Amino acid sequence: MSEKKGCLGCSFPLVIGLAVVLLVVLGIGIAVGPVGKSIFGDLGLPGWLSVPQPELKLPADTVFHLFGFPIANSVIAAWITIIFLVGVSYLITRRMKLVPGRLQTVFEFLVGWLYDLCVSVAGEENGRRFFPVVATIFLFVAFNAWLALLIPGFGSITIHTAEGEAHLLRAANTDINMPLALAFTSFGFFWYFGFKTLGIRFMENFLNFKVLKDGFRQLFRGKLVDGLLGIFTGAMTIVTGLLELLSVFIRIISLTFRLFGNMTAGEILIFVMLFLVTYLSVLVLPLYGLELLIGFIQAIIFGGLTLIFLTVAVQSHGEEAH
Amino acid sequence: MEGLGSLGINVSTLLAQVVNVAILFGLLYLVAYRPIMRMLDERSRKIKESMDNTEHIKQQAERAEGEAAKRIEEAAKEGQEAIARAMRTGDEVRQEAQQKAKSEGEALITRARSEIQRERDEAIDQLRGEFADITIEAAGKVIDRTLDKKAHRDIIDKVLKESTTLKKG
Repeated sequence: MSEKKGCLGCSFPLVIGLAVVLLVVLGIGIAVGPVGKSIFGDLGLPGWLSVPQPELKLPADTVFHLFGFPIANSVIAAWITIIFLVGVSYLITRRMKLVPGRLQTVFEFLVGWLYDLCVSVAGEENGRRFFPVVATIFLFVAFNAWLALLIPGFGSITIHTAEGEAHLLRAANTDINMPLALAFTSFGFFWYFGFKTLGIRFMENFLNFKVLKDGFRQLFRGKLVDGLLGIFTGAMTIVTGLLELLSVFIRIISLTFRLFGNMTAGEILIFVMLFLVTYLSVLVLPLYGLELLIGFIQAIIFGGLTLIFLTVAVQSHGEEAH
Repeated sequence: MEGLGSLGINVSTLLAQVVNVAILFGLLYLVAYRPIMRMLDERSRKIKESMDNTEHIKQQAERAEGEAAKRIEEAAKEGQEAIARAMRTGDEVRQEAQQKAKSEGEALITRARSEIQRERDEAIDQLRGEFADITIEAAGKVIDRTLDKKAHRDIIDKVLKESTTLKKG
């Protein structure tokens, strides 16, 4: 058996040489970067070696105006996601076969998985009604995140606009308007399905005077203890109903900021890491994998919470109590 | 509004994104959910149908198998009967043939016997005639004169007739 020499299929001198080169590149990168600047001050290195200061901007840049309507770069990213999702769906469903091909199987698996999730949470009938809403939210969130990470050009192509330099593309989820729009969609469908299923009774979840009324009735009949107890319970019911109503509105905020926060934090993390390691940006690659996972998890969370809210909406509290 | 603005909340972008979500919802409903759900439903219907069919066919096959077994049993029974009948007929035919052969044989024997008897009688008659002639001739030679053939013959015949040894059977 011949003894293997070297490391990773290369001879030791080559490996050592490569390691030295990499370390030098990393060292120079760190030295010209913010860390080096704060330690050594300005080294007077040539301009092409210096790294520009990163600018973190929460509001999305407006790229152009369409009929006087400002179009932000995150809106363009959302369009790309829409075109991608609709295009792929169209290509696959254009010639659907009863015995599916590979691509159709994958697509059916994804959609079927979402459908099964809806049915398992909301039941057969409601699951079918909620499925398009939940699936749209899931797909939009997930693919907004993935496409922003996988398509080159996000956050790197800058163009000149009337308001100055602006990025052409920005991950849609990291602009708060996108999570907020999704949260409003979730909120809207909550009320829609609630009223559609329960009618005006849906409002009893939030404003229920029945128990209070019963309490007063008992009181007028001379049943003092029952009446007072009823009035107390009625007052509590109204308070909890109002709290419930408040929580419905708070959901908009929680849904929005959960997605926005996670996505923006991921973006900032990658941004800062890239800025710190400067030339050896390949070291940041694992973080891209992490962000892909986080995008998927956030999509499940947003879709799943919407599914749960919708399921709660179509169950009347009266039914739950009995 | 200042704080919201610094976060990036912008009514026009928000509106645009809501419209985007609505457009995506509508388009995906048309090109993804509806056809896929239809396909999945269709497939589960087909599977259910084919399973029902399979059950039906299985039942049919079982029924057919039962029927076939019954038919085979019937046929076997019929076959047995036919064989029994054939054997019975065969026996009858054999017995009949035996009977016939027996009676024919007997008739043949009877006929043969009577034939033998007749031939024997004829032979005896002939023998008797010749014997008388020989006797007369012998007696003539003994006494050396010609005997009245006619008269002696009658006597000899009479004697022969009366003797028991050459009696006709």
